[in-house]
Amino acid sequence: MPSLCGKNIVAGKANNKPARFGNVWWQALILTLALMFFGAQDACALQTHGGVEGMVVHQFAHLHYILALGFLLWDLYRPDFVSRPWLLLRCFCVLMILWNILALVGHFAQSGLPEGDIVTEDGYLSAFLLLPLSFGRWVYYVAALDHLLCVPALFCLFLAMRRFYRDSLNSQGLGGRSEKKP
Amino acid sequence: MTGNLSLLPAIVVDCVGSAMMLVLSILSMRYGFLLSRRQPENFLWSYLFYITVAIAAFSTSRAVGHLVKEFLLISGNRLLWERISPYSGGLNTLFMVSLAAVMVFYHKGVQAYDLLQAETERLKIANQQLAETSAQLHDLNRNLEKNVEDRTRELSRSEEKYRHLFSASQDVVLFCDAGGAIVDINEAGLRTLGYAETAILGHRFTKFMVRPEEFVRCRRQLAEDGRVKDFDVELRRGDDSPLPLLLSATAVHNEDGSVIGCEMIGKDLSRLKQMMSQLAASENMASIGQMAAGVAHELKTPLGVILGYTQLLKEDFPADSEHHQSLAAIERQTKASRKIVSDLLKFSRQSRSAREPVDINGLLDDVVITHGHDVDSPNLTVKTDYGHGLPMVSGDAAKLRQVFVNLLKNACQAVRGRADAWVRLSSLYDAEAQAVLIDVEDNGPGIPASDRERVFEPFFTTKLVGEGTGLGLSVSYGIVKEHGGVIELANNSSPDPPPGGSRFRVCLPVDGQKRLKHGESDHQCEEVGMPA
Repeated sequence: MPSLCGKNIVAGKANNKPARFGNVWWQALILTLALMFFGAQDACALQTHGGVEGMVVHQFAHLHYILALGFLLWDLYRPDFVSRPWLLLRCFCVLMILWNILALVGHFAQSGLPEGDIVTEDGYLSAFLLLPLSFGRWVYYVAALDHLLCVPALFCLFLAMRRFYRDSLNSQGLGGRSEKKP
Repeated sequence: MTGNLSLLPAIVVDCVGSAMMLVLSILSMRYGFLLSRRQPENFLWSYLFYITVAIAAFSTSRAVGHLVKEFLLISGNRLLWERISPYSGGLNTLFMVSLAAVMVFYHKGVQAYDLLQAETERLKIANQQLAETSAQLHDLNRNLEKNVEDRTRELSRSEEKYRHLFSASQDVVLFCDAGGAIVDINEAGLRTLGYAETAILGHRFTKFMVRPEEFVRCRRQLAEDGRVKDFDVELRRGDDSPLPLLLSATAVHNEDGSVIGCEMIGKDLSRLKQMMSQLAASENMASIGQMAAGVAHELKTPLGVILGYTQLLKEDFPADSEHHQSLAAIERQTKASRKIVSDLLKFSRQSRSAREPVDINGLLDDVVITHGHDVDSPNLTVKTDYGHGLPMVSGDAAKLRQVFVNLLKNACQAVRGRADAWVRLSSLYDAEAQAVLIDVEDNGPGIPASDRERVFEPFFTTKLVGEGTGLGLSVSYGIVKEHGGVIELANNSSPDPPPGGSRFRVCLPVDGQKRLKHGESDHQCEEVGMPA
């Protein structure tokens, strides 16, 4: 084995050299470590999370949520998931996907909206958006009404869960999966 | 478009929508909880419950954040909101990511659940099949037990039946092994052969045969045909007397087909042979009787003529003349001859008999009084043992008297010269056979076995010349048969035989029209002679 041979050779050389030679390497190592420790100036190891990073993470979370809902929606299209609660659950997915898209776009629109486009004259409730409505302003305004999508989505979810529960009271089925045979 | 667009609708929708999100998500979570509680084993409900929890958490963080924001902004605390906002947004992002993760997890969860369900279903089906199989096995087992019980019961019944047949059979039933040694024999076999069980079991069958070489042929036939039918053999009884046996045997084979022994059934032929012998004797007696009747009939007329003319001639000569003496001698001999002829006719039952009620005990008394004294046997004792209440017998008193006189005379002659001589006459009524039994026995030398079958033949006598014609028992035989009765000479196997002597038994039916059959009465002895 080469490594074994090499080790033997080194061992053989070590035996031929004076013992003082090995102490030089140790001294060099200790010196280097001391210089690095005491000679360090600004540490660059930690990454900062300032700026728009929170925004980016949030947008990625929306994307993640969209993909998860899409995946769930795709998975809910099964031949035995034909009953009403499963349909309501699919509606929930669709509406939530739309809400996520709207929210995603809305966050971009909000971040791109100049601070002076929203004017407050007499408190927060009197705030208004300056006209004329540019695409950014229009998108912002529509996105501010995102509850018009997420509330119906949650309502679908509520109906689906309630139907599941009521069906389970009437039978021991699985809400549309009861007839499924593997 | 000119002017300003109020954001108040957006603020209102935000507040109301947030509140509704809060309410709807919590209600959804409640139903998810109820579902998972109701069917904890259902993975889907558990999953939907986790989804609703995640949605409720996300919605709450979002709704509360929005409501707080609107409240703070409306109340003019924008600075405070700007401080809180990163935490609210961060928390909201965190819950959103978590919610998305839970949803992605769903797919794999459902797959695992489906696999689990499929496996559960398979297990359920397998369990069901196992239960069905188990039930079938149980049924089979129960049926098997019942069948075994039934078969065992049948087998036991069959064994009992055949065991009973084996033990209750009156024929000799025995089993031999391949070597010809007897391994089992029934009670009747032991009784017939007259051996103890230990003297038979384990011994070769040929040991008991008079001619063992005969069995070689039997064994050969058994090996070739598997059975032997009506094989005539003669065995030796325990008392050394011969036992004629009609043997049927069947070979017993093992699973390989080789003979491992045989079953034998032997029928005792001694009785049959005796009857055959009696039949032959009877036929002989019948032909003798027929001839005697013919001869007697032919001699009777000339003898009557001879006697008549002799008596006429005798009157022509003086009583002291030689011719008169000669004619008297002719007359005596002719009378004697006529008596013989008359006896022969009685033997052949050619003479007619009267029918009147006869008191047997009175008749026997009369016979004893008139003929019970033998001048040559002064020590003779005549014993009588009459039964009480004997019914009257329908018959010819004179002829019956002659029967008992003949028997008594024979008995007296048989015991002549003995110091302790005795003759006994006894009577008994057999109610079952409706017959009167009369025994005449003596303690004389008895009758040799070689002569026993001929004692009733005409002219057969063991007496000295001049002491008897040999017609006494023949005449008695004919008279008794004419009365429908039976006359027998007891043999050694008869119960209570006289020691060394002989015993004659006369069975007479009470009803004169009835004819007794041999062996009808338990008290009757073995018949020797011609049947009725």
